[in-house]
Amino acid sequence: MKQLHIKSIHYLLSANGMGRLLSRSLLFAFYLLFSFSFFQTSSCLAATYTVDDLPIPYLSDSTQYVSNPDGILSPIAVDSLNMWLRQMESEHGVQTVLAVVEHIKGGDTYEFCMALGRKYGVGNKRQNSGLIILLSTGDRAYTILTGRGLEGTLPDAICKRIENHQMLPALREGDWDEAMLNTVRALKAYIDGDDSLVGDSDFDDSDAGALTGFIFCMLIGLGLIAFAIWRDERKKSFCPSCHQHKMKKISSYTTKNKRLGIRTHHDTYRCSNCFFTKEMHWDEDLHAGGTGAAAGGALGGSFFGSGGRSFGGSFGGGSFGGGGASGRF
Amino acid sequence: MKIFKAFLLAVMAMFALTSCTYNKLVEQDEQVNRAWADVQTQYQRRADLIPNLVNTVKGYAAHESETLEAVIAARARATQITIDPSNVTPEQLAEFQAAQGEVSQALGRLMAVSENYPELKANEQFSELQAQLEGTENRIAESRRLYNEAVQTYNVSVRRFPNNIWAMIFNFEKKSPFAAEAGAQKAPEVQF
Repeated sequence: MKQLHIKSIHYLLSANGMGRLLSRSLLFAFYLLFSFSFFQTSSCLAATYTVDDLPIPYLSDSTQYVSNPDGILSPIAVDSLNMWLRQMESEHGVQTVLAVVEHIKGGDTYEFCMALGRKYGVGNKRQNSGLIILLSTGDRAYTILTGRGLEGTLPDAICKRIENHQMLPALREGDWDEAMLNTVRALKAYIDGDDSLVGDSDFDDSDAGALTGFIFCMLIGLGLIAFAIWRDERKKSFCPSCHQHKMKKISSYTTKNKRLGIRTHHDTYRCSNCFFTKEMHWDEDLHAGGTGAAAGGALGGSFFGSGGRSFGGSFGGGSFGGGGASGRF
Repeated sequence: MKIFKAFLLAVMAMFALTSCTYNKLVEQDEQVNRAWADVQTQYQRRADLIPNLVNTVKGYAAHESETLEAVIAARARATQITIDPSNVTPEQLAEFQAAQGEVSQALGRLMAVSENYPELKANEQFSELQAQLEGTENRIAESRRLYNEAVQTYNVSVRRFPNNIWAMIFNFEKKSPFAAEAGAQKAPEVQF
C-alpha cells in the first residue's frame, strides 16, 4: 500500500508522467490553434455572417471588444476603439460588442444585434448596460442597440443623432475607421456624462477573483500534498511493537538493479521508545528524471494554462428591449 | 392506527405537493402579469410620441390633414382600451390588438406620406422622432414576444398533469397569447 502510494507520487512528479501530460496538453493546444486559424480563414471566404459564426474576440481576450473579421477597420482604429471601450467598461460598467463586417445573413442589422444580445447576454445583469454597435458595409446598414439599462443614458433620439452627425458623413465617404471612431467617441461622451452608471466593481474583481481562485486551488493542492507526505512520514514513524510514533530512520543504503532499471532503497528505522528495529524497502524508477525539475514544470504549466483562461472575458447576462437606432446609407 | 398514520402521511404529502405546485403557478402567473405590464408600457410610450410627431409633421405638411387626423383618431381609440392583466380574455386581447393595429397602420401611412417632403425628412427633430418611433415599435415587438413566452410557460404548467388538478381547484385558467398581426399574413401591395 505504501509502495503504491509512494510510486503514485513519483509517477506524478517523474519526467515520464509529466512528459506525457505535457505532450498531451501541447497536442491539444496545437489542435486549438489549427482549428481556430481554419475557422478564421473559412469565415474570411464566406464573409456573410450569422449570429453563430460571427467571431467574438472578447470571449478569449477581455481587452478585445471589436469584432473585425474581414479586416475592414485598420489595426490602429481597432486599438483605439478597444481602449475606449475598455474604459467604458471599467469606469461605467458598459459592456460593448462592436462588429464591422461585410455582410450579415438577412441584411437586417437590428434583428442581428438583438439575436447577438440574446445569445451572449451582453452587459452586466445589475445595470443591464450592454451596447451593441454593428456596421455591415455590404448591406450598407448600421445599428446601435442599447441594453435596457442604457436606454436612459442613450435614448433612441440620441443614438440617431450620433448616427446622423458622427457616423453617416464618414460612411458616405467610405471611411469606416472614421465612422466608428467618431461614433464611439460620441457614445463615450454621453456615457461619461452619466454618473449613475458605475463601473462594475465585480468586473475589476473578476481578474483578481480568478487569480484568487487559482491561488486558493493551488494552496489546497499543496496542502493535500503536504498532508500526504506528513501521513506517509507518520506511518513510517509508527512502531508496530509499542504502538507509538517514535520510529526514526537511523541508516539507509541503496542497491541498483540495472536490468530492471530500478534502485532499491533500504531504510532502517528504530523506535526510540522500545528500540524495536525495522527495515523498509522501496523501489525508485531509474528512468524517472529529477523530481524537482518536473515539479517546476508542472507548476509553470498549470500557471500558464490558468492565466490564459482568466484573461478571457465573459458577458454578464444583460438584456435588450429593442432600444437604439438603426439606419442605412 | 397504522391506517390512520398512513392517511395522515398521505394528506401531508398532498399538502406539500400542493404548496409547491401552487407557488410555482403563482410565480408564473405573476411573470405573465409583469410581461403584460411591459407590453402596455411600450404601447403607451408610442401613444405618448404621437402628438409630438403629428405636430412636427404638421409644420411641413399641413395639407396632409386627413392622414394626420387618422393617426390622432386611432390613438384616441386605442388609449381607451385598457385591460386588467389578471384576466385577459381572448376577445379583449383581440380588441386591444385591433385598436393598436389601427394605430400602426395610420402611423405607417403618415411615414409613407412624409417621404414626399424632403424638407421634413431633412429636419433633425423629425429624424429623431422617427428613430424614437422605430425604437418603440421594436420594443413593442420584443415585449410582445416576451409576453407570449411567459404565457406559453404558464399555459404548459397549468395544463400539465398533475398541476392541472390544482390549477382547477385554485382557478388558474389558461391565458391567451398575442396572435400574429391580422395584416401580417397579407403580402404588401406595391404600387407604381
